[in-house]
Amino acid sequence: MKVEMKVEYYPGETGEFIKVIEDNCVGCGECAKFCTRDVWQPDGAIYRPVNLKQCVECGACWNVCEYEAVDFSEPKGGTGVRFSYG
Amino acid sequence: MNDNEYDVIVVGAGCAGPAAAKKAAELGLKVLILEKSQVPGEKNVSGTCLNGAALLEPDLNYIVECPVERTIREMRTYHINSDRTTVFHEIPSKGILLLSVRRDHLDSWHTEEARKAGAEVKLSTTVVDIIEEDDYIKGVVTDSGEKFYGKVIIDAAGVNSIVGRKAGLIPKRKGQNMILYVTVAVKLGEEVINERFGDCIEYYLSPGIQYKTWPWIFPKKDTVTVGTGGYMDENLINDEFPNVNQYMENFLNLPVVKKKLEGGEIASWGLHLEYDEAIERRVRNGLILTGEAGGFVIPFLGEGMPEAFFTGIYAAKAAAEAIEAGDHSEAKLSERYEELIGENFFMQAFRHIATVNKESILTKTDEEITQMMQQVIIGGGFISNAIHTKWLKGVEEENFELIQEAYDFLELIQPYAAVDPDFENLYNERKSK
Repeated sequence: MKVEMKVEYYPGETGEFIKVIEDNCVGCGECAKFCTRDVWQPDGAIYRPVNLKQCVECGACWNVCEYEAVDFSEPKGGTGVRFSYG
Repeated sequence: MNDNEYDVIVVGAGCAGPAAAKKAAELGLKVLILEKSQVPGEKNVSGTCLNGAALLEPDLNYIVECPVERTIREMRTYHINSDRTTVFHEIPSKGILLLSVRRDHLDSWHTEEARKAGAEVKLSTTVVDIIEEDDYIKGVVTDSGEKFYGKVIIDAAGVNSIVGRKAGLIPKRKGQNMILYVTVAVKLGEEVINERFGDCIEYYLSPGIQYKTWPWIFPKKDTVTVGTGGYMDENLINDEFPNVNQYMENFLNLPVVKKKLEGGEIASWGLHLEYDEAIERRVRNGLILTGEAGGFVIPFLGEGMPEAFFTGIYAAKAAAEAIEAGDHSEAKLSERYEELIGENFFMQAFRHIATVNKESILTKTDEEITQMMQQVIIGGGFISNAIHTKWLKGVEEENFELIQEAYDFLELIQPYAAVDPDFENLYNERKSK
């Protein structure tokens, strides 16, 4: 059996629902470490949610960040990740 | 009341939200429920097996009418290490133990029940802020800028709820007491599942396939849900396990699992973050936190959906009484809410067992737990881990009190084993309606 991360998304723009607060980011990389979807990538001395389209909205990055550098909101209504089977 | 004014606004249509909205509407209140997804349940990931012992509580009897994938009557546990594999085949009740469901189907059905009871439902609507006046939570703001006002706001928006966070009740967990798990749904077809799994759920324990959790395979109608993950501390992610998907890969590659899933196809993948600790303060003036938003989930026992149903219903009851009295203060709301939670035997007992279970899991390596569970004589799952840990420790230390506590535990879980035959009767009665 082919093991793959098959994730569906609703069509439509989610908006920029995760942002880095640049002044607070120390570049520790905890956000990227706990992100299962490779959303966070290094950019110079800090990290950015570059691959936001791959996000499944779990909130691990916001929860682990000790520097208040993750601004974690919600995608626009009816957009973002769509799970089936639950 | 104006069009955008309600008695109760419920945020989130997962497990807790529709339960709260339905109950509040039945109590004669004007209710609005807001859900961010297009279809309720499509942003949810969970174990998806409803516990019969919980559904026997009169408040939850109606849930039995939900779309059910499979009735679960048995449980198997595999303990695997390099030396040996042991398999426990448990039949804790002679009747139905659990109902296996799909969250998209369950939550959509439940939301429709709330609508039928009189609640207004708005889907594809994300709540992005709260409206606060004079230290009271008075309403919510949606992503389109609409404002809705309610005498009481019931937050049922999950583990990272914006409402609870903005109200200052949901803390940042900083990697403490958190569980991150992944699931895959494997399509096998109904006949193959009947043959390989039947009405039996399976738990697995083996070094390298989980980190301080308990991987599972739950059969649905034509797919099985496979889940595993780990406790988020500094050891969850490392060179060998660059992310939680590695635990899943190892799980799916266990020879016994590989064989059971042969010919299958991954239909979907899911991820969920859980917070394993009840939140200290879950009520503010005009606001009640329920379900996962309120920390009512018990990862170390694999429970969460019943707690969400219960707390949703209790929040609605507390809100109705507060509105009737014209007092929506924290004191008024929390008095009744906490009282109803305190009186719920299922919630109290499971929380207690989970605490002991968590303690034993966190103080042992996965290797040690596997080894211990290979030598036990009763059962092989979550609950018996808690019992055996106490029992073995008591024997080792010649401490009779610990052994007595293990016995008391067994007594405590009797209502769980006593599902038979009442739940089967309830199920048949409700399904024939």
